[in-house]
Amino acid sequence: MKLTLQIWRQPSAEADGNFEIYTVGGVSEDMSFLEMIDQLNRQIVLDGGEPVAFDHDCREGICGMCSMVINGEVHGPIKGTTTCQLHMRSFKDGAKIVIEPFRAKAFPVVKDLAVDRSAFDAIITAGGFITSRTGSAPDGNAILVPKEDADQAMDAAACIGCGGCVAACPNAAAMLFTAAKVTHLGSLPQGQPERRARALSMVQEMDSQGFGNCTNERECEAACPKEISVMTIAQMNRDYLRASIAGDEA
Amino acid sequence: MLGHLKQALSASIGKKAWMAVSGLLLVGFLVTHLAGNLLYFADDDGSIFNAYAEALSSNPLLPIAELILATLFLAHIALGVRVSMENRAAREVPYHAKAAHGGRTTASRSMMITGLIVLIFLIIHILDFRLDPKAHDDMAGAVQAKLSSGRGALTYGVGVAALGLHLSHAIASAFHTLGLNHPKYDSILQTAGRGLAVVIALGFLAFPIYIYFSGGAA
Ligand code: HEM
Ligand code: FES
Repeated sequence: MKLTLQIWRQPSAEADGNFEIYTVGGVSEDMSFLEMIDQLNRQIVLDGGEPVAFDHDCREGICGMCSMVINGEVHGPIKGTTTCQLHMRSFKDGAKIVIEPFRAKAFPVVKDLAVDRSAFDAIITAGGFITSRTGSAPDGNAILVPKEDADQAMDAAACIGCGGCVAACPNAAAMLFTAAKVTHLGSLPQGQPERRARALSMVQEMDSQGFGNCTNERECEAACPKEISVMTIAQMNRDYLRASIAGDEA
Repeated sequence: MLGHLKQALSASIGKKAWMAVSGLLLVGFLVTHLAGNLLYFADDDGSIFNAYAEALSSNPLLPIAELILATLFLAHIALGVRVSMENRAAREVPYHAKAAHGGRTTASRSMMITGLIVLIFLIIHILDFRLDPKAHDDMAGAVQAKLSSGRGALTYGVGVAALGLHLSHAIASAFHTLGLNHPKYDSILQTAGRGLAVVIALGFLAFPIYIYFSGGAA
């Protein structure tokens, strides 16, 4: 396959960026999207240029690093996949593909397609934990978890923290990410002691990072590579409002 | 306590919760407003409708009700504008290629626009009937005079259509914002929210449509 790529290039966080047009040939339809960019970078380096910077790590859909927006769609056109799991057979030979970084004030561009997602780390630090007793390992089945709760926690825990929800959200809100964490921990008995404080402090941190406000447009759910449900957001709103009305401390 | 309230008004979910509560109370007002208005269609030359209008405007509690309504509107609008401005600021650089992922709807993406149309319509509507002393002599006649003109019917048609679109997203969204949603009843909530929006919109649309096309003989 031969493709025309329009890619956002920005030398550093402070520098201005712009789109550059590249053509890349010899692309196999079995390649992943990231391998296609590897191929482009090889070509750029051989021509003496600066390769396109992009985030990636596991290349198997579990780490959440491969952030990019492809033709306006977060992680490209296939539902429920990360960019590393996207194959070139999803594109037509000769296609023109626009590749941009995630866009959000809270996710500043570091270079080209790589953005800084430490705002998520701050949200996790604010409440993404449980307190547990130290010492010898607890007995595996000492705390019983109803099947429905375990399923709900497991579904929410599928979140890989990629930030695709923020990138897809018309308001650049981080509600789906934060709600996935709040729901994951808040659905389990082990997460109960901090449940209300967790919702308060994680939401406060989310707000202070400069993300937008949720208007329930559900673009996040539609774009999420792990198909996290917006029902987690209803759950977080419930926990947050309950804590807020009770006057709990974050 | 005050710090607590301030926090509730600055937090994202707090602002949205107040928008949802004020919006839902306004929906409650719309339903009663529509129910009262439907008396216009009684087959009696408008006398029941006029008696209803008279009873409303001579009720000593009316100013209190109006004050509450105005407060709800102002709170809702102020928060809506603030939320929209913050949301715009949260993405400084827009995307070059724009594509929807399948979650948004026409209604959800145009909340600010439909809201503003409703606001403009509301001002016209209050000037037409509430603040026009002549209207209060014969409310049914004033409604007929206003809506039998093409311009009047169109203004009310557009205003109410915008309201319907606003509500078709807003009602279910408000419940979700308040945490009142669950996988088990999400689809019912969506359908019921849109259904109520359609009922409200069609109910109010009946006035300009009927009066314009019949010349207004109720
Ligand atoms: C008068 C001008 C109005 C403006 C500028 C306005 C603006 C907005 C905006 C920007 C939203 C946020 C979108 C969202 O959260 O999804 C919203 C939501 C909403 N609006 Fe309005 N609106 C107006 C009038 C009304 C009226 C007349 C009603 C009801 C009768 C109403 C009911 C609602 C409800 C229930 C929500 C949902 C709140 C939520 O999602 O949490 N609005 N409005
Ligand atoms: S590189 Fe790890 S999820 Fe794509």
